[in-house]
Amino acid sequence: MRTALADPAAQAEEGGRCFDEAAAAQMERFVDDFGRMYRERNEALREVTRAHHEALLHLSAAADLKDDDTGIHIVRIGYLAEALALALGQTVGFARMLRKAAPMHDVGKIGTPDSVLKKPGKLTPEEREIMNGHAAMGAEILGRSRIPVFRMAAEVALTHHERYDGTGYPAGLAGDAIPLAGRITAVVDFFDALTMDRVYRPAFRVEEALEMLKAESGRAFDPAVVDAFLAHAEAINALRCRITQECPSFDSLIDSH
Amino acid sequence: MKKILIVEDHMDIRKLLKMTLEFDDFEIHEAATGDAGWLLARELQPDIVLLDVMMPGALNGLDVCRRIKSDPGMRHTKVIMLTARVQSDDRAAGFSAGADDYLMKPFSTLQVLETIYRMEAAL
Repeated sequence: MRTALADPAAQAEEGGRCFDEAAAAQMERFVDDFGRMYRERNEALREVTRAHHEALLHLSAAADLKDDDTGIHIVRIGYLAEALALALGQTVGFARMLRKAAPMHDVGKIGTPDSVLKKPGKLTPEEREIMNGHAAMGAEILGRSRIPVFRMAAEVALTHHERYDGTGYPAGLAGDAIPLAGRITAVVDFFDALTMDRVYRPAFRVEEALEMLKAESGRAFDPAVVDAFLAHAEAINALRCRITQECPSFDSLIDSH
Repeated sequence: MKKILIVEDHMDIRKLLKMTLEFDDFEIHEAATGDAGWLLARELQPDIVLLDVMMPGALNGLDVCRRIKSDPGMRHTKVIMLTARVQSDDRAAGFSAGADDYLMKPFSTLQVLETIYRMEAAL
């Protein structure tokens, strides 16, 4: 029930009451306590997410090391994927989540035998199949969580070897049927892998890598994603160099806004 | 920090809405009438407006919503209507006035926050 205020001017300013004072005070206490529990719950959830995230990033780094990288590759993938998502006009929230999710895309390689992963030269069809299994294996490791960032990470792990023309693996998805997060990660992974030294070859020059990327537009990669990359190539490459230099920790990958 | 304006004529409801928003970090502003709400909205250009439908004064919630939605300075502003009735007429009227979402009273604390997070994600 609304009780009329004596002063009509005060009423216009403040609006009417609908509860008596004691009831209002009690209700505010409830809301206050509820707010405290809400914040405590979110804080606990953040901590659990963080611990889980850190463990999975370390596992991804271990897989990356097995694959003769230095570990910084996966950090770069995160930041480059974020930059490319923003260049594509995606929301800051999506881009940030992709930064946290994309570095784990190859975590499944932890389960790939070294005899296949490190084999010099061409793989036999059987070995190729074992190698390709890392996508599904990664998705399985990451997909056990209901937390959005790990759902996205699982999606990226599963789809980062799909090709825009439908000839990729594991599902042979084509075009927009491949989730955007996977299409973006595929492009930055390609570029970053080309522009770093490998045991079997030196790094390609940036110009060469960009040409190779362009050549795969519409074949391996979504033309819209490639176009956005090329349009921002200079900034993205500068970011790549900066990350290699500054070597940001997993903490900043997880925490920074 | 996102700027949120609450326009609601019942002081107690307004207080509870404000307390709910204080669960998180928002810059919160309040108005008790449609007229005051519209003036404040123009001044603040808030990110999100929580807007009651039925209010005394020259402008009701739907009027304020229409004005916000046709103001070039508030293209980014999301409007969430607070409707007392379960009638779908209210919903339809809200959406045709340009509202982005609506919440039914008595409002759920968690739903208020979830709706705001959804709006924020789209900002």
